Amino acid sequence: MKKNILEVNHIDFSYGKKRVLNNISLSIKEGTFSVLLGLNGAGKSTIFSLITRLQNLVVGEITINNFPIKDYSNALKDIGIVFQEPTLDLDLTVKQNLYYYGALKGLDFKQTILTIADEIKKLELEEHLDTQVRKLNGGHRRRVEILRALINKPKLLLLDEPTVGLDLKSRFDILEYVRDLVKTKNISVLWITHLFDEVEQNDDITVIKAGEIVDAGIVKDIVNKYKQENLVETFNYLVR
Amino acid sequence: MKKYIYCMKGIVYKELIRFLKQQSRFFSALVRPLLWLFIFSVGFKTALGLAIIPPYETYITYETYIVPGLVGMVLLFNGMQSSLTMIFDREMGSMKILLTSYINRNYLLFCKMFATAIVSTLQAITFLIIAILYGVDISYGAIILTIPVIIVSSIILNAFALFISSVIKQLENFATVMNFVIFPMFFLSSALYPLWKIKDSSLLLFNISSYNPFTYIVEAIRFSLYGKFELEIFLILGISFVISLIMAFVGFKSKKVSHS
Repeated sequence: MKKNILEVNHIDFSYGKKRVLNNISLSIKEGTFSVLLGLNGAGKSTIFSLITRLQNLVVGEITINNFPIKDYSNALKDIGIVFQEPTLDLDLTVKQNLYYYGALKGLDFKQTILTIADEIKKLELEEHLDTQVRKLNGGHRRRVEILRALINKPKLLLLDEPTVGLDLKSRFDILEYVRDLVKTKNISVLWITHLFDEVEQNDDITVIKAGEIVDAGIVKDIVNKYKQENLVETFNYLVR
Repeated sequence: MKKYIYCMKGIVYKELIRFLKQQSRFFSALVRPLLWLFIFSVGFKTALGLAIIPPYETYITYETYIVPGLVGMVLLFNGMQSSLTMIFDREMGSMKILLTSYINRNYLLFCKMFATAIVSTLQAITFLIIAILYGVDISYGAIILTIPVIIVSSIILNAFALFISSVIKQLENFATVMNFVIFPMFFLSSALYPLWKIKDSSLLLFNISSYNPFTYIVEAIRFSLYGKFELEIFLILGISFVISLIMAFVGFKSKKVSHS
């Protein structure tokens, strides 16, 4: 049986007086592609912020690779993160951005490029390494951000709405690449999205609505459970 | 240990590249103190008679007196600008990368402040070289001796600015910061005139200026540029260094990330 690489247990969170998460629990198994699905404002990004320690956890518990989030030097060591909003430095080249991120992960410049040499080729970024990020299109920028998240050979990859704003081809190229990472490198993925067409029948899914988990499980099981035709109908049924 | 060195190296590397690519920012940061040196000091020196005060052992020109204060001005403006950027970045983008590292967050913030200090130091050195070329009596050797003081002073100001911009919500644009933080801090110090001159006019302002850490930053730079050492001033500088870092770390921690 696969062990959980990420466990979120009974977390609550408020922005001031506004409660945005209520008793959230979810888990991600090793080597799986898991999806956190919910409408805008459901609380997906807040969960992401708590897992990545951008927000301080007050109520509940989060463990990554068996390390509590408070022990961040161990918990965050083996994760890769792709944020919803662009976080590359536009004035720097791709390589310089990668060096910088590698340094934040405690790697020297040589190690940084060596650890991702294969992925640079797979993502077709070789010829862009010395290009200023400002000159790249949205799809390439996203690829660089995914590449960057792989620098420290993560066991868990967290992606917050990584395909928002991209054209259909770029979206599915990125999705396919990330799914391939799960198969070939046994990386666990938490894919946060509101886009149904990015979810497959065998994905492990958690549906969130207004700060509460509505249901979780394998997509096809959940669809059958509620006797619906497909995920879209099931989702509408759950969040109505 | 290596990871901490690589981390520091990476952050400084990034700041230096940005510094080299944003040359207009570099020159505009120099224009301000140069205007004070070339224009303000020319008009002001006739109105202000300077007595012989430590560290000086002889009468000096007003331009010579004002230079340490203008170095402080470079550090102060840079510190404020970069700390505000850090706060905005925390909400909008690149700081998130920094904050999700598994390396101690306070150490990362220190690296960021140190990197800014390196950039500020390069600007301060450029300003000092121009001042020498303009005729101000400073030696190149003194500039080298002053570099550590400039770096420490810059970190103090960066840390202070980070604290201010973390805890005061209203400080959301640079104009407000100029009016309520930078100018009072600058004018209530020994940057433009010796403290005894202020004492002659207002004891209250003298007392406030005496407690202003910026006064000691300016004086530490002044003493270093003159190749002198004054224990009290450097001790206060050291204490300010520790306190400002603690304030920055606590302030930054308490600053909430907005809901994106």
